[in-house]
Amino acid sequence: DAEELTLLERWLGLPKGNKYGVQGERKVPVLQTNNGPGLTGLMTIAAHLVKQAKKDQLLGSTAEEKAVVQQWLEYRVTRVDGGSSKEDTRVILKDLNMHLEDKVYLAGNVFTLADILMYYGLHHIMVDLTVQEKEKYLNVSRWFNHIQHYPGVRQHLSNVVFIKNRLYTNVH
Amino acid sequence: MGFGDLKSPAGLRVLNDYLADKSYIEGYVPSQADIAVFEAIAAPPPAELFHALRWYNHIKSYEKQKASLPGVKKALAKYGPADVEDTTGAATDSKDDDDIDLFGSDDEEESEEAKKLREERLAQYESKKSKKPAVVAKSSILLDVKPWDDETDMAKLEECVRSIQADGLVWGSSKLVPVGYGIKKLQIQCVVEDDKVGTDMLEERITAFEDYVQSMDVAAFNKI
Repeated sequence: DAEELTLLERWLGLPKGNKYGVQGERKVPVLQTNNGPGLTGLMTIAAHLVKQAKKDQLLGSTAEEKAVVQQWLEYRVTRVDGGSSKEDTRVILKDLNMHLEDKVYLAGNVFTLADILMYYGLHHIMVDLTVQEKEKYLNVSRWFNHIQHYPGVRQHLSNVVFIKNRLYTNVH
Repeated sequence: MGFGDLKSPAGLRVLNDYLADKSYIEGYVPSQADIAVFEAIAAPPPAELFHALRWYNHIKSYEKQKASLPGVKKALAKYGPADVEDTTGAATDSKDDDDIDLFGSDDEEESEEAKKLREERLAQYESKKSKKPAVVAKSSILLDVKPWDDETDMAKLEECVRSIQADGLVWGSSKLVPVGYGIKKLQIQCVVEDDKVGTDMLEERITAFEDYVQSMDVAAFNKI
């Protein structure tokens, strides 16, 4: 989403001025560059912006971290953006819930681009979840609530509410 | 507030439940609150308390930066779910909103030493405060226990009532008061801790002695 890239730009503190377009039926974002055909693809552009802002640590510091960040960026583009049926959503939430059981951030203990883009990508899904679903995917809810409170990330997106007192405590 | 005894499995369970939907003890960034709780735990939580374990490993990764995390370390009793009974002995405050975002506006210019000294003094003050005996809310209740008829053995009835034991319940004096037709009701005093014992519980347990007790009423209820 071009809009998402604008949000990311703002969060990174980059000066405005990048021009975005979309390509094709699937609306793949394109970043117009001064010399050449432009950078294509959400992940690619996002990573480029991060490096422009000199915040490379957002892509992971160790080789392992970098790989995990890439894994979730790929997941975001192929699974979250690609699939949109109820069943797909369920699988995504289940995968994430399992992965986040023992982690605070997608890459473990550090906040990375994976968290930002997954947050933006999941927002429209989370907004529609029922209270019971939010509790079922408890780890995703916890992580989502955390990321949306991370300074500067949420911007104008709506705040998804997670109630503190669990109503369905026998679902673990 | 507080988690109970964090060195016990029960306390760790409270912590685990509390952290199920939170990344940190307070707010959305690691702070001295997390350090305070982290230091109260003896060892990494067991694998089945996976929320607590997740949090523990995460906070451990901040070990080197712990002095520079925002906020001020408070007594353990100040953190945690609002409805857990505080067993660390601190005076019970009015219920805090447990969603306070506690980024102290720490003065960046404050030197490391001054900060350490202040935190030390605060910790001392908190521990002194927590040594004060807890003020517990108590009430004195006068119960009327009525038998089925004048043939009921009142001594036995009284024995049954007094056999009811509970944490926070102390039986007092009693007397038999005639109500007419030869029937006497037992009027018995008790002192209860409001948090632990309620009149419903007492009524349930007293009327359970169906052979002797027809009904129970609260004749008088005074806060102490």
